[in-house]
Amino acid sequence: MSAHEQFADDLSLYAIGALEGDERRTLEEHLQQCPACRQELEKLRGDVALLALSVSGPKPPSRSHERLMAAIRKEPRRIPVTAARKSWWRPVEWALAAAVVIVIFLLARRNGDLRQTVSSLEATISGQQEKLMQAQQLVASLASPDSEHFTLVANNTPPQPQGKVIYSRKTGALVFLANNMPKLPPQKAYELWLIPQRGAPIPAGVFKPDARGSATVIEPPLPSGVEAKTFAITLEPEEGSSAPTSQALMVGVQS
Amino acid sequence: MSRIPLNVTSTDATLLSAVRSGDEQAMGELYERYSGIVYSVALRVLGDTGAAEDTLQDVFMKLWRNPEVFDENRGSLAGWLAVITRNRAIDALRRRRPESDIDDVVVSVEPDMVRGADWNRTLEKIRGTLAGMPSSQRSALEMAYFEGLTHTEIAQKTGDALGTIKTRIRAGLKILRNALNP
Repeated sequence: MSAHEQFADDLSLYAIGALEGDERRTLEEHLQQCPACRQELEKLRGDVALLALSVSGPKPPSRSHERLMAAIRKEPRRIPVTAARKSWWRPVEWALAAAVVIVIFLLARRNGDLRQTVSSLEATISGQQEKLMQAQQLVASLASPDSEHFTLVANNTPPQPQGKVIYSRKTGALVFLANNMPKLPPQKAYELWLIPQRGAPIPAGVFKPDARGSATVIEPPLPSGVEAKTFAITLEPEEGSSAPTSQALMVGVQS
Repeated sequence: MSRIPLNVTSTDATLLSAVRSGDEQAMGELYERYSGIVYSVALRVLGDTGAAEDTLQDVFMKLWRNPEVFDENRGSLAGWLAVITRNRAIDALRRRRPESDIDDVVVSVEPDMVRGADWNRTLEKIRGTLAGMPSSQRSALEMAYFEGLTHTEIAQKTGDALGTIKTRIRAGLKILRNALNP
């Protein structure tokens, strides 16, 4: 209970409208300074209102309704608050409207610029996609099992294993084609290595030649920018190795 | 200005906001809702239908002329109207000039409680609680509220001590409050 107990009786009387004289004046002075008692007074008035709300009686005659509506029509409500606010508010409204128009204009122009950029990017992308498709078709046909491979050697020389590496240092892209590779022992595979100018050999793909001894390695994962001293092929376990485990069977000669 | 569609489901706050914009139809809807309460209270105090009609007119015209005087954030419109009506009616009964600040009252009653589905049950509870009070207590409340008698006048009328009247009124209001908030 936050209201003051010494005023509790008087607060109830005051709420119901029955307090008078000095007691009333004393309480009113106290109420000026005491939020807790003011709050309690509001609650008590709510309780008192229940007395009023509990009253039942006849409905008012219908002429009362007509009388009220006629009086209201004679006194149309002015709306001074809204009107006063308008005069103050109007310049701000215009300024805001102007700002919105400018922003819309700027956004529209920016939108146009962006559209142009997008369409030029789209043209570039479509050109590059076409080139990429051509390259993929070329690689696919070279690597296809039905493509025929001829290795030209001096007369009367038996066919020798041969590998050809095409490597771009800048992009790290690599294509490897091999012919006449000897048949692999069970659970073994060939592994191609990039031998850099400095440092350890870098794995450049595991491969098994087909029945004709042909094999391809296309775009193995390689770091870009590595300068290759040469390439080499070793015999490794089927799953490949991270470092060579046998002597190189073939070593590249740059052409 | 766009007109707010108003109907029986509109809240008092919506109707009041329309009244503040000068909407006569909204005023008509508020009258439909609360003229019964206002008229009943006025009639209970004044005991005269003509005087009660005048008070009814007075109270609703006051709301029309100055709807800002009621703050819907701090209580229900029904409670406020009932209290204002009682005060106006007591003024009329005593042929007093209306006290200028008497309408600036805050009445803590749940907004829209009076229109809620549970209102009939609440009303029965209030009436039952009043009926269940000792008659001396009930009549002290009624003399103060509906007859506008001061505690001194009640004491004189009943022959009881002033302190007794004070205690009865305070305890009576507490019983009412507790009946609704057990």
